[in-house]
Amino acid sequence: MSDGLVKILDGNTFVVSDDRGDIEASLTDPTGLFSYDTRFLSKWVLSLNGQRLNALSTDDLHYFETRFFLVPGTGTVYVDAKLSVIRQRAVGNGFTEELTILNHEDEAVQLTVRIDAASDFADLFEVKDALKKKGKYSARVEKGSLVLGYQRETYRRETTVSATTPAQIDENGLTFSVTVDPHGSWATELSVTAGLGLGEGLASGRNGGARRRRPSMEKNLERWLADAPRLECDWQPLKATYRRSLVDLAALRFSPRIAGGRSLPAAGLPWFMTMFGRDSIFTSLQALPFTPELAATTLLALGAWQGARVDDFRDEDPGRILHEMRYGEMTAFEERPHSPYYGCADATALYLILLDEYERWTGDRQLVRDLEPEARAALNWIDEYADLLGNGYVSYKRRNEKTGLENQCWKDSWDSISFRDGRLPGFPRATCELQGYAYDAKVRGARLARSVWRDAGLADELERQAADLKRRFNRDFWVEDGQYFALALDENGDQVDALASNNGHLLWSGIVDKSKAKAVVRHLMGPRLFSGWGVRTLAEGEARYNPIGYHVGTVWPFDCSFIAWGLRRYGFKDEAAQIAAGILDAAEFFDGRLPEAFGGYERKLTRYPVQYPTACSPQAWSTGAPLLFLRTMLGLEPVGDHLIIDPALPVGIGHLELLDIPGRWGRIDAFGRGRVDIDHKAGLRQQLGR
Amino acid sequence: MKDATTAFFEDLSQRGHDSRLDRATGTVRFDIVNGKRVDRWLVAVNKGDVAVSRGNRAADTVFRTDRAVFEQLVQGKTNPVVQMLLGTATLEGKPELLVPFRHLFTGKSAADPRSTAGYARRQK
Repeated sequence: MSDGLVKILDGNTFVVSDDRGDIEASLTDPTGLFSYDTRFLSKWVLSLNGQRLNALSTDDLHYFETRFFLVPGTGTVYVDAKLSVIRQRAVGNGFTEELTILNHEDEAVQLTVRIDAASDFADLFEVKDALKKKGKYSARVEKGSLVLGYQRETYRRETTVSATTPAQIDENGLTFSVTVDPHGSWATELSVTAGLGLGEGLASGRNGGARRRRPSMEKNLERWLADAPRLECDWQPLKATYRRSLVDLAALRFSPRIAGGRSLPAAGLPWFMTMFGRDSIFTSLQALPFTPELAATTLLALGAWQGARVDDFRDEDPGRILHEMRYGEMTAFEERPHSPYYGCADATALYLILLDEYERWTGDRQLVRDLEPEARAALNWIDEYADLLGNGYVSYKRRNEKTGLENQCWKDSWDSISFRDGRLPGFPRATCELQGYAYDAKVRGARLARSVWRDAGLADELERQAADLKRRFNRDFWVEDGQYFALALDENGDQVDALASNNGHLLWSGIVDKSKAKAVVRHLMGPRLFSGWGVRTLAEGEARYNPIGYHVGTVWPFDCSFIAWGLRRYGFKDEAAQIAAGILDAAEFFDGRLPEAFGGYERKLTRYPVQYPTACSPQAWSTGAPLLFLRTMLGLEPVGDHLIIDPALPVGIGHLELLDIPGRWGRIDAFGRGRVDIDHKAGLRQQLGR
Repeated sequence: MKDATTAFFEDLSQRGHDSRLDRATGTVRFDIVNGKRVDRWLVAVNKGDVAVSRGNRAADTVFRTDRAVFEQLVQGKTNPVVQMLLGTATLEGKPELLVPFRHLFTGKSAADPRSTAGYARRQK
């Protein structure tokens, strides 16, 4: 991997180590064994006769399993290995590690094999923000195991380390004194268990040791891949990217027990392996033509946790869809509000959009009927709780002023919403895409009310509200001298006039007047926003523009995928294809795994996409982006019981086939042919979108 | 005066139906530790129809905590997730049955329209 770290994961348990399999974490370093937002191992170091090992190679067997080939090293270039060491590690409720030592000599060898283990039990928030612990640590040897503990009042977490062969165990690790026969081998299996002390609690339904579960996890992954549509394409990198996306999406699945063993996408490694309203919804939308069951679980799980009351600490309101759920120490002691936290202004409308889109693809009316109360509560939230200024627009202002989120839109960093001149507006802020989502939620809610809930009165009312919102929006947000939509309205109702990628989401929502669409598209595809790879989050030339600023100049593959969907919605097929081409071409530089974001530098300048320094990878909605691009390139649109196919492929793709697309029609195949012959120049990398 | 816990279960029992539990079908036992004694309340839910009884019978979900914590919980002064993370409450069986009870742990009686999720008007 690009950062030299090896990651394996299953739901929200994951291990990040160096390429030898060792973990030596510092407080601010996201390596270790993590489960439920807590680091259960911060040190895990293997040595032979006091000597560290060198990595020969690493095999990523599965997303949940990896194998390290090692040799005792002198640190020199020349390796004369008389011994080989293999560590095969699989993640589960903690992880298991099969440690094998091979002796290549004609004589037996005596070895002292040592595993040093320790844990700082850091909350992920502490790792992210470099905070200090408040409780007490312990380490004890008990029943042939090393038990590392942490306690603060009633809060207790434990890590148990054991082995299948006899070991001398002390408080810092395990020592094996072994003799390996000539050309023989020695093996043990180490097991590390993360003890949450939650009983069965809210922990994952995927229980049992990693070893026992491995065959079923392999089968599960095979079935997952086999169930997804098959892709045929003459541009080879796309096939690799597609497969990478499917595997990563499988890895990011997360099964909170309240989902009854079904899974929804967690947001991303390492920081966001949890239920995350906005990210789970966007990813489910992207994956609908491929794995519609993710959407069903997302709707059920987020519905179950829908806001029940007014709670300022959690920014909770009745009907509001949650932002983020966390299980770490800081959440337990209410030093963070994530139990769960509701401070996001878009997930509630997006929830309704997903519900309707899900029904349009799958025809699963039963779920829409079952979730009618949740949907009505969500619609109610938009009108009764989200209009903070009483001006008919959705806006946000945190009530938890200490640890709540300032920006409750997808661009949630502190400086993401600004005027052209760089000033930051006050609160409440009504960002433009929130109005688009609210509009779309009402339009779609009306469709569901009429066709499924049989409530024509509600449908009429929602349609009336939607039309009114659209009319006002096109008047109040339109920046006349710039010919685009303002990023937001501030607390006075004045336009926050920076040009940003949010304009593309407005196309996706359908809130843009047809007469204004062309001007918006000119900006999206123009030099200030379009980098050659994708659409920058903030336009070049704005005071806060920075090509490696998190939400103020980088290109986000997820963002671009919804912009492409928006372009298709308004009939701009070629432009949608151009964005798909740029991002898919960038994906090849990352071996098919798109990062959360990459630099907004001009493509002609860098010739490769510059990864944003601390971006999450894999990240669910980046993983979902290629899936949505397949949809937009093929022009897939469910209409009634049929799937409309209207392909528009980028230059460089001659043919594209997506076979066995699941939906209310059963399974269907989609074919697309390119309009331009490709010039295959020998020795040159074939690129898209140039 | 009756404690909040007894009031909570008696109120629930009298209602017989609570639409906030429409999604739930199964039995939830609340084990409330009161010194050496354990008070057990069994709530059988069938798509929102509720029957409350006392006693130690098997249930699909068992939520266990001490009396002081449960008093706080039913009054909406603390949050069940926080208590479980702290280790002061445990949950066994099917968690999905307990989740809808969040809507009841608001400290407001069902007759109060403000306690009904999604249909309330915020106090401005």
